[in-house]
Formats: sequence, structure tokens, C-alpha cells
Amino acid sequence: MLGIIRIDGHEIPFEPGDNLLKVALAADVDIPYFCYHAALGSVGACRLCAVEIMSDDPDKVPRVAMACLEPASDGLEVSVSAPAAQQVRQRVIEFLMINHPHDCPICDEGGECHLQEMTVACGPAYRRYQGHKRTFTNQNLGPLVHHEMNRCITCYRCTRFYQDYALGDDLGAMRLRNEVYFGRFQDGPLESPFAGNLVEICPTGVFTDAIFRQHFTRVWDLKTASSICPHCSVGCNILPGARDGTLRRVRHRPHPEINRWFICDRGRYGHQYSEHTARPLTPRVAGATITYRKALIAATEQIKAAGDRIGGLGSIREDLEGNALLRALLNNLNGIFSAFNDPELEAATITAVNRIQNSDGTPSLTEMEQVDAALILGDLTAHAPMIDLALRQAYRRGAQLTVLHNGPTPLTQFAVTTLPVPPHEMGAYLSRLHERITASPASKDVQDESTAEIAERLAAARRPLLIGVVETLAASEIIALAQLATALGTDARLAYALPGANAYGAALLTLASRKTTTILEAIETGQIQTLIVAGTDPLGDTRLGSRWRAACQRLNTLIVLDCIATTTTAAADILFPVAAWAERGGTFVNYEGRAQGFAPAFKRLELLPSTAEVIADLVQCLDLYLPDAPAVLSEAFPGYQAPVPGSAGSLMPVHPLPTHIDTATRSDHEHHHKHWQAALTTWYGDEELASFAPALMKLAPTATALISPAAALNANIEEGAQVKLRGPVGTMTLPVQLDNRVADGTVALTRMALVQLGVGHGDLLELEPVS
Amino acid sequence: MEAVLTRHLDPTAPLGLPAYQANGGYRSLTAAFDLKPEALIKIVEDANLRGRGGAGFPCGLKWRLRGTDAPRPRYLICNLDESEPGTFKDRHLLYGGPHQIIEAIIVSAYALQAERSIIFVRGEYAKGGNSLSRAIKEAETAGLIGSNIGGSGFDLQIEVHISGGRYICGEETAQINAIEGRRPNPRPKIPRPSVKGLWGQPTTSNNVETLVNVPHILLNGADWFRNLGVNGGCGSKLFCVSGKVQHPGLFELPIGTTARELIFEHAGGLAKGRDLLGFIPGGASTAFLLPKHLDVPMDFDPIAKAGSRFGTGCIIVFDDVTCPLQATLNLIRFFARESCGFCTPCRDGLPYLAQILTTIAAGQGQANDLSLLEELCAMIGPQSFCAFAPGAVMPLVSSLQCFREHYERHITTGHCPFDTVNKKGA
Ligand SMILES: Cc1cc2nc3c(=O)[nH]c(=O)nc-3n(C[C@H](O)[C@H](O)[C@H](O)COP(=O)(O)O)c2cc1C
Ligand code: SF4
Ligand code: SF4
Ligand code: SF4
Ligand code: FES
Repeated sequence: MLGIIRIDGHEIPFEPGDNLLKVALAADVDIPYFCYHAALGSVGACRLCAVEIMSDDPDKVPRVAMACLEPASDGLEVSVSAPAAQQVRQRVIEFLMINHPHDCPICDEGGECHLQEMTVACGPAYRRYQGHKRTFTNQNLGPLVHHEMNRCITCYRCTRFYQDYALGDDLGAMRLRNEVYFGRFQDGPLESPFAGNLVEICPTGVFTDAIFRQHFTRVWDLKTASSICPHCSVGCNILPGARDGTLRRVRHRPHPEINRWFICDRGRYGHQYSEHTARPLTPRVAGATITYRKALIAATEQIKAAGDRIGGLGSIREDLEGNALLRALLNNLNGIFSAFNDPELEAATITAVNRIQNSDGTPSLTEMEQVDAALILGDLTAHAPMIDLALRQAYRRGAQLTVLHNGPTPLTQFAVTTLPVPPHEMGAYLSRLHERITASPASKDVQDESTAEIAERLAAARRPLLIGVVETLAASEIIALAQLATALGTDARLAYALPGANAYGAALLTLASRKTTTILEAIETGQIQTLIVAGTDPLGDTRLGSRWRAACQRLNTLIVLDCIATTTTAAADILFPVAAWAERGGTFVNYEGRAQGFAPAFKRLELLPSTAEVIADLVQCLDLYLPDAPAVLSEAFPGYQAPVPGSAGSLMPVHPLPTHIDTATRSDHEHHHKHWQAALTTWYGDEELASFAPALMKLAPTATALISPAAALNANIEEGAQVKLRGPVGTMTLPVQLDNRVADGTVALTRMALVQLGVGHGDLLELEPVS
Repeated sequence: MEAVLTRHLDPTAPLGLPAYQANGGYRSLTAAFDLKPEALIKIVEDANLRGRGGAGFPCGLKWRLRGTDAPRPRYLICNLDESEPGTFKDRHLLYGGPHQIIEAIIVSAYALQAERSIIFVRGEYAKGGNSLSRAIKEAETAGLIGSNIGGSGFDLQIEVHISGGRYICGEETAQINAIEGRRPNPRPKIPRPSVKGLWGQPTTSNNVETLVNVPHILLNGADWFRNLGVNGGCGSKLFCVSGKVQHPGLFELPIGTTARELIFEHAGGLAKGRDLLGFIPGGASTAFLLPKHLDVPMDFDPIAKAGSRFGTGCIIVFDDVTCPLQATLNLIRFFARESCGFCTPCRDGLPYLAQILTTIAAGQGQANDLSLLEELCAMIGPQSFCAFAPGAVMPLVSSLQCFREHYERHITTGHCPFDTVNKKGA
């Protein structure tokens, strides 16, 4: 703290370098403003933040200055209420309203419009301008964001966010004078994964939520509650809004260390899954709809009949409470529990969580913005979109990014080095990098220049970040990344994008690894008769879906709890539709190990208990005694206290986890000339829940087989040619698209394609041209 | 006074390199390289060369304040964007002989120890810009630009940037954005371009006319330059006179020459039977002056004292059958059109002024319109982001003062008093 300024008599302390507006807002002293934004800084465009500043010299008249551009200095006397400052603000509003359509009654921004508030607070009550208003043509910006340019006040926040902050290039300011136009060069969907933030960053009704608009309500009628985004492991804080038993929209809720003012478009628009027409809303037994009580009775009978021949699958997208109670039930019944349905993902996730627990703590998003170098393994944009945005901030500050990837990933645009590495060679590459970093200068071979360059860059960095996407890495590679961090010393930070909103919690509850394989094998050998699946879709898995489907044929009873319609819910003998996240309370543990509570925003008209509630009801029907979820959790994790929704969350206590290295999974495949390695190529909308969001899915890239131009040349395949892909489960024909971001010998495919072929990321498949 | 800046200029046949050199061109390079850069700056300071781009900031002081320890690379921008209505002096320098500009830049860049210079040429002057590029090539081939020029150890690269074409691109920070390929919105005043300008490096911007004085000052000395002026002024100046005069044109004369001499001797005076209503002394963004100001020396301080700005030193003359309201409206429309659109008062305030003036001009003005105009101008000028808007409202504010009764007659009679005058005259 450097000193004190006085604003209309209030004494306010400030930090060096802060401007008056920032200082005032931090102290809850209102100075009206438009163009300033904490994330975007001051530009001095709107001129609404006019204040009067007294001169040191009492004989001199005070001057009017813009608070957002005026540095705070000790003893400064500032007045917001001075008539001269008020006059300027009134004129600014008068000018801004000259061309404004005054269409508040039909404007979606109404009720949360910054312009409306400022006009009431500062502006003249009547207009004097008598001339014509300027009229713009609006653009179609795609399914997510609606455009009404006439409401614009030219504060430049949208382009400053879109171009300067999020580094998008398809929306900007065009033309000049009072005709400045904010839009795209021509109509078309916004390309940035963060485009939806325009809705919140725009202080007027120019950019509004196109989904909310389809089923609109006035915002003061929305029921909201502090919540956490269920769509990835970042755990952004959000505010769902509902009315009349339906969820209408999602906005950001600031968390000072995570998402702050923004969220990604998956988080903003993915919620449509909970209003999807195919969503199961009534319990089903043997294909027939039935009451909740009867379904409970049916399930109870089957569980009793199974005795200890029972298994349970929790989920990486299921909350901590649901997973913990399911595990407790299984323990009580002497059954087996895992929160994963793919052993490789289980091994990778548990390994990653173990490494994080053994490190000095994984960096928050705001810490990631401060790194000066990063080694990125995989596609962060698709697996943890807001981490991508945090690294864009690091890049803007000069951080040097290196991306090792199997297929296309947006962050390569900002990287100094990008290296396509086939999935099978990632491990070997990481050990080479490790050797290079640890080797003595003399023994460094000069052959591999790019490796040397990457190693040197990381070694030279003051605060390097090593980050990997768990879904596309094997456990051994996750360990190799952690070893790199160790080799780089104590200033290096390690992080992993985990595969689900509660993957961290799921890993802690799964404890020993290989549980998934045990369950699968037990079903296949008839040792498990009844399987309870909560919030996951093993039958729709990329690699193991067909094996699960076959195995489940042997079950007596498949009991499924979920809030979306999946291959597994379709196969369920007993189906319990459960509350979607905005309809229930619970806890997710994010990629840092931060447990965050979320509260129910509303209840639907249908009876939809949470997973934990269904299990508690089953426990009761089974005449068992089990403590409630909080008690189960504090027993499992000594010291655990349920984080209060709306709080900053709390780190999960450190918990012993095995390190699982499953070396058998990847490298043992024989190479055959027809064999290509499959790589999962996804985009920011690709996630189990969000894939039920129709608007988001309109933006999904079309399915193609992406291969590198070099590989195509080798195999004599041309761009656009049809190729036949053959996997263990099925075949499909796709057009080829050449992309030099795809690694050699690798074919990058969408998740849907992988499911159809029955291959996982890194598995081999055959590819041949269709003649 | 003998012509200094325009002596070898000929837009119909600009001198090529050999002819320019034969006439003594590029001699100042040797003189400059014999001096320490600081000594050169001292001479320019002693000459009291003030910026010809409009603001009149002392050139030598600007150079000295940049500092000798400024980090490298350093840039010199030669402002040849000339978009001010009534101003066509830089055009003459460009089309009349590109080598004078190049010589001036080499010597000035040497004084600033800048290794790269960009000449920002108005879009409409593209043809001139292209000849300038060819002349730069010529000079490069002759070893006058490049590395270790003339064995001096000084390296310089000169480029031409042809503007996309907007008035605001002449403002130095907007110009920097334009060169960087960004929207030409002005930048905040702090940090100054001399600290953090083009591509974040120390940058000095000068009007082309300012710079072309430098070689002459160097060859002839500061005292010589100071003595070129009259009535207390220093140096020679390219004056333009346009509007209602018999022989509009460009005249190189001592700074401090009176408007009376310029209008009535050099530009041939007004048409027979016409009287002078008033004039704008320094381009469209300066305040009107009246016939009583005809004997004020055309120089920075005297014109400021008279209530206007010397600006570019280019006079626009209005006669007694020109409606001052229409003339002012014309200027305000120009500025409303050229506003860069960044800040509210300018972007939305200027069209508002234009709208009110249009209404008055159409005979539909209201009694309180003039005070409304004054109220709006009083906010638009001082509260805008850059110097564009203060300049834009200047002619209106002064026109309301100088010609108030004409405005009032528009409102009270419901039509333009000059319409009848003109009809009668016809
Ligand atoms: C709106 C605006 C437009 C300007 N246009 C020009 C111009 O066209 N040419 C020019 O030389 N200076 C122009 N200037 C002045 C420049 O910003 C800058 O002050 C000048 O180039 C400095 O050179 P000088 O010190 O040699 O005059 C303009 C300034 C403003 C505020
Ligand atoms: S569209 Fe919105 S954010 Fe962009 S300039 Fe206009 S009002 Fe500001
Ligand atoms: S980054 Fe993840 S948690 Fe954050 S909004 Fe996007 S999907 Fe949700
Ligand atoms: S005063 Fe006019 S030209 Fe200058 S920044 Fe504001 S809008 Fe742009
Ligand atoms: S907030 Fe200060 S000028 Fe806009």
C-alpha cells in the first residue's frame, strides 16, 4: 500500500500503479464507467468515468479527468459528485443515446443492462437531439450469439475481449466515425471457443445469448444458485438461471483464482443437455415406465438376489457425494466399485492425481497466466478450454509455448514450437527431452535440434509449466511429464487436464487401480450378476464399448442412474433418471484437487432425485445402515469438510494413491504397413453432456479422416479421397483431409468415429483408399 | 526573401539524383557527419525551428527530450499525411522534388541516431509516394542510404508507407497504429511515443516541412535561419492561400509575414467588389479571424494571441457573400466524417453539432440552438481523447462568436440571409 486518496470524503488506500477507477471500484465506491473492464484495462474511450480532481494549488480551479486513465497518487482529492463531472457524464449519456433505438421493452439485456443503469444514474431524462438515428444491419453470428448492432455504444469492449484478450481474429471493429461496426467481415458463426463471453462483456444488448433468447424470460424472474460447471475438470464457477422448472441459461460467477470473469462456450451453452427432448425423466423397469417407488422396489429385489455378486461404476462426471455413497453401498455389499469404465483412463487419471498430490501443488488458472514457458501435451482447448484461455494470457505476456500434439489443436497458433508426435512415440520423446535436460553439457548430442531447443527453453524459463491432457496420454507418459517437472527444478509447475468435472474425486475414491478391469472380467466370467452404473456410459465407450456390451449381456440386472440418454441407459433393465447438476447440490473436485460445492438452482416438475438420494433410498429399502454422504466423505478423507457453494472451495486432503504404470497398453502392438495409429481429435464442444446441446453441436466439425500431407504422399492418398477405416468393431468410410498438425502414421478421428470403429486414442487401425 | 525550401522544386520535372546533387543536394550529409549528433540537435534548437505539422512544438527540444540513451532500435517518422483542408504545402514538397525530403531525413535521423525512418504519405498522394520510393532506391544505390553511409558509421533504412487514407492517420499516435497495421485510433498520451512508440520503441514524429528545413539550417547556420523570419518569427514558411481569392496558391515567405500581405499581395486579393468576411489562418481546425486581424504576423505566438492557431499556416479566405454558417457546417461535416470513432464526445457529438447546424441552415433553428451548440462544444473539445475534437470545434466556436448575428438571422427570419444577397448579386 502506497497511500490514500480521498473520493468525496472517503479515504481509500491504493496500490502503486492503480488508476482512480480501479481503486474506487475495489473500495465499493461507485464511479460510472463503460469501457473499463478489470480484465481489459483502461482505454479512455467512453469518457463516462469523468471525475473532478482538486489541484494542490488552492488558487487553481479543479480539473475534470477520466478516472480510468488517472493514476492514483497520495493525498489526491477526487470528487465524483462535483457538478462539472456530472455535466460531462450527462453529456456522454446524451451522446450515446442519440442513435440508441430505445427498445428496452424488447431487448434481452433489459434488467441487467449497464447502459440502462448508467442512463438512469447519470443521463438527462429527456432527449434533445431531433435528427435521424443511424441504422445498422445485423449479422448472423451463428447459433450461440445474437447480434443487434443498433444498441451499440462503441465501448470497444467486445473487440478488446475477442481479439486482444482471447486472441480471436474473426470479430472486430470496422469503419469509423459514428458508424463503427462491431462484427465479422461477413455473416457466419463466431469461431472463438470463448465467443459467448461477448454476451457478458458487452454492456448493452448488442451481443445476447441466442439460446436464452429461444426460451426467454426477464432476468429478474430467474432462479439462480452458486454452481460449478459440470463440463470439464477446470471447475469454473457459474450461475445457472432457471424459471418454471426449466434451465434457461448459464453465466460466469467470478472465482478469483479460476475463471474470474469468463467461461468457455462449452460451459455456457452445454447446459442445453438438461433440457434435451431425449432426456430420461421417468424411471423404467424392463422397458416400461414405472413410478420411482416401484423402480426402487425392483432394484432392491435384484440387489438382494445378487448378494455379493455385485459391481458398481461411478463416474468422473458424477459428484463426489454420488460416487462416495455408491462406493459405500458396494463396500457394504462386498461388491466391487470403480469410478471408471476404461482401465487406461483409470490408470492415467489415478497416476495424474497421484503426481499432483506429490507435487507442490498444481497451479491455478491465474498462476498459469504468469508462467513464462509451457510444454503442452495434447489439445487443451478441447479438454480444458479455460486453461487454453489462461495460456493465451501467458502468451500475451511473452510466455513461450511448446505444443506436442497428435492432431490439430488451436494453441499451436501461439506456440514457438509445435511438434506432431504420434501417440506411440510420445513416451520416447519425453524421455529424450528428459535426457536432454538432465545431461551434462558435454554429452549433449547436436543431432536433435528441436528437442535441444525445447529443452533449453524450458530450462531457461523462470516459471515453466508442464501440462498434459490425461485423456490422450498413457500413465507412463503422465509420469514422464512429472519427471520432466522434477528435472527442471522447484520452480517448474505441473498440471494435468483431467477427463471430467469430478475426475479428481473419482480417482481418490477408486483408490487401487485396475478396478475397472476387475469388474469387467468379473462380469465376463459371471461373477457379477448385477451392475449399478451411475452417470457413465461404459457401453458407449470408444475402445471398450463393444466389450462392455458383450459383457453386460451376461448380467442379470443392469441398473443405471443418469440424466442423459446413452447407450447404457438404453440397455438398462432398471433406469433411474436423476437430477442434472443445476437441479441438485453436490461437490466436484477440479484438476487442482479443489473441492467446490454447488447448490441446486431449481427443481423440475418431475421427481428427479440426485444420484446420492437414489442410493440413499436404495440403502433404506435394503434395510442397510449407511451414514449420509458428508459422513461417508469425512470417513474416507479425514479432515474433509464439505465446501460451501459460493465459497472459494477447499483442497482435498492428500490421500495415498498407488502409481499405476500400465506399460502393456500401448507399445506392444506390432506395426504393420496398413496400420495407422488412431488419435482422438476433438473440439471444445466435445464432451458427454455437452454433446446433447443442439446449438453447440451445430458447430461440430464434420467427420473426416485427418492425416498429415507427408503420410498422405507416402500412402498415395489425395485430399478429399475416400478411405476405408477398419477397427476391431466396425468399419467406416470417410473423406481424407490433409493437415500438417497431424503426426506421422496417425489418423485423427472424432470421438464418434472411434466409437464406431471400437478403437481408443493410440490404438491401431487399418486405413485403405476406396478405389 | 530568396526561396529556400522551394528553390529547386518543380512538380512538372522534379530533379533526379544527379541533377539534385549538381545543385548542391546532399551536401548537408558531410556537414552533419562531421558533427556529433548532439551538436546537430543544438543547432536546430538554436535555430528555433518549430513544428510545421500544426502544433508548433520546438523541433530541437523534441529531439533532445527523446534522449541520447533511448533504447534501440529508434524510429523517425516523417509525417506526410497532410489531410488538413486548405493545406497543400507538403504535397508541393513531395511532388516538387523527393530528394530534398530524403536528404532531410538522413540528416535528422543522424541527429536522432535513428536507424529506421518511415515516411507516412497521404493515400491520395500515392503517385508522389511511389516516386519517393524510386528516389529512395536511387539514393540507396548511390550509397546515400544503407549501412555506414559515406563512411560515417551511421546506418539508415528509409521506407514509404502509403496511408489507407483518413484524416486521423495524421495524428502521430494514430499514425503509429496505422503503420503497425492496427486501427488508426490515437493512443493514450502516456507513455509518449518518444519512450514507447512504433513497435514499442522510441519514436520521433515530424512533419515533412519541419524536416526539410534541417539541412538548410545545418549548411547556413542557426542565425541565418532565425533571420529569415520577419516580425519576430524564425525561418521560412510554406504558406497556402485558398478560398475566395483571385490567385490561390502556395508561397514560400518569411514566417511572420502578415495575412494582409499574403491575401492581398501574393494571392491577388478578393474578386472585384467583394469584401473580406474573415479567414481561417492555419487549416480547417483553427479559429476564424476577422479583417481586423489582417496585420497580425502569421506566426505561432501572435496568431495564438489573436485567439486562433497558426496550425499549418494555410489560410482559407471567406468573402462577404459566403454564409459563415454554411461554411462552418461544411467544416463540421468534414470533422464528423473524419472522427476516428474512438471516443464518445467526438464520435457522437460532432454529428449532433452538424445536425443542429443543418436545421438552422434550413431555416428551422430554435431560439436556444446557439446556446446548445456552445454548451456541446464546451464539452466536446476538452473532454475528448485526442486533439482532433478540440480542433474540430474551434471553427464553430469562433464562428459563433465572430458571426453571431448571421446565425441569429437564420433563426429569426427562417432562411439564410446570404441566399438573398447571392440572388441579388446574380
Ligand atoms: C487530428 C490530427 C491530425 C493531424 N494531422 C497531421 C498531418 O496530416 N500532418 C502532420 O504533419 N501533422 C499532423 N498532426 C500533428 C501530428 O500529430 C504531430 O504533432 C506532428 O506530426 C509533429 O510534427 P512537427 O512537430 O514537426 O509539427 C495532426 C494532429 C492531429 C491531432
Ligand atoms: S458491441 Fe457492445 S461491447 Fe462492443 S462496442 Fe458495442 S456496446 Fe461495446
Ligand atoms: S473450462 Fe471447463 S469448467 Fe470452465 S466453463 Fe469451460 S467446460 Fe466449464
Ligand atoms: S477525439 Fe475524435 S479522433 Fe480523437 S480519439 Fe476521440 S473520436 Fe478519435
Ligand atoms: S471508463 Fe474511463 S473512459 Fe471509459
